[in-house]
Amino acid sequence: MSINGWFPLALSDAITAGSSAGAIVKGLEVVVWRDDAGNAHAWEDRCPHRGMKMSFGFVRGDHIACLYHGWQYGVDGQCQKIPAHPELDVPKSICVNTYGAAEAGGMIWAALGEAGDAPTLPDATAVRSLYIEVPLNTALAALPSAVGAKGFTPEGPVARLDSRWGMLLVGLQEIGETSCALHIAVAGRATPETCAQIAMAAARLRDDVEAGVAA
Amino acid sequence: MTDPVLYNYDLDIDCYTVRMIAGCLGIALELRNVDMFPGNEHLSPEMLALNPQGRLPVLVEDSLVLTQPLSIILHLAETRCPEHPLLPTDPGIGARMLDWMTFAAREMGVAGAARATAMLGAPGDLDALRAQARRALRLVDDHLTLQGFKGLGFVAGPEVTLADLMLFPPFALSRDFGIDHDAFPALRNWARRVRKTKGFSTMPGIPDYH
Repeated sequence: MSINGWFPLALSDAITAGSSAGAIVKGLEVVVWRDDAGNAHAWEDRCPHRGMKMSFGFVRGDHIACLYHGWQYGVDGQCQKIPAHPELDVPKSICVNTYGAAEAGGMIWAALGEAGDAPTLPDATAVRSLYIEVPLNTALAALPSAVGAKGFTPEGPVARLDSRWGMLLVGLQEIGETSCALHIAVAGRATPETCAQIAMAAARLRDDVEAGVAA
Repeated sequence: MTDPVLYNYDLDIDCYTVRMIAGCLGIALELRNVDMFPGNEHLSPEMLALNPQGRLPVLVEDSLVLTQPLSIILHLAETRCPEHPLLPTDPGIGARMLDWMTFAAREMGVAGAARATAMLGAPGDLDALRAQARRALRLVDDHLTLQGFKGLGFVAGPEVTLADLMLFPPFALSRDFGIDHDAFPALRNWARRVRKTKGFSTMPGIPDYH
């Protein structure tokens, strides 16, 4: 499957400085991590040494290290240090496959394949990411009624919904054929109470579509 | 007071919970290692005489024999360090802590069963156990998401308590039974905070680095 475009991987505030997480886009494994300077990065989730997932690794300063043998990669994906060979001038050929990364609408995005321009979205308050064990289209079909919207406007991997809490921006992540993630943000500023209500409605949506209750 | 004796198997999730929390409380334990897998020593006549349930951990302190992680942890904390900051002084937070400790013992117990089936040769329907464990982990992830909107970083309130420490092992070890951490953003960030507890320790399957 060829994957081309910008895809949401996580809510911006879920990836704190100095941490990493795994995300899967249509079967493609991606690590998303944030360095201590606050910049987000999206790479192939694979250490070129032994194939270990980089998302199991650990972030220190401006590099991420593999959990297996501690190979350290800088923000350009280039291996800088191999702890077992501290004197070695690491060859340039040892690097992780990197993707473009951007933050918009309260989410972190990765540019995969022929991606084009980064998404432009209004400022938003991140609410929560929802992981659901159903096809993306099943979750999407049930989304408007769950948030009191009449429908949604799809813009590639984002759905805009005029909900009872204002304009929702929902990043759409197709993990595989039977699982997906919805990254939910509300445009502008939202109170904690509003965020809590949206988060609870989202959890009900997840539980209903997995139980086959919602259409 | 002499050190309490803990009958222990290093790779057992409940034994880890007790060892780790005792460390956070600053309580020394005398470990007696039991070859649970593959030796099945926990089912030997001597161990069954001590705990007819055929499970670890078992805590022995003089004539007292305790077999449940929840009671072991509370007994150790209340008798040896009742003023410890891991035990909240606020009655409401204390009640919430006990609520989540009970959740950890009951609803989350399925994670230990799933792990034992996946790794330690225990009988069980792994798919069903994994689905139940995912549901339990989601309940904590949902709760921590809502706590976050209130500016509260832990399950019972603003500070780490025994409840967080009891809930940590099933999440940290979830990959052992086939549940990745990707789908639990609130748990992932909470786990990073829990690991900062003074005296915290890991076990095989939980990286020292994070």
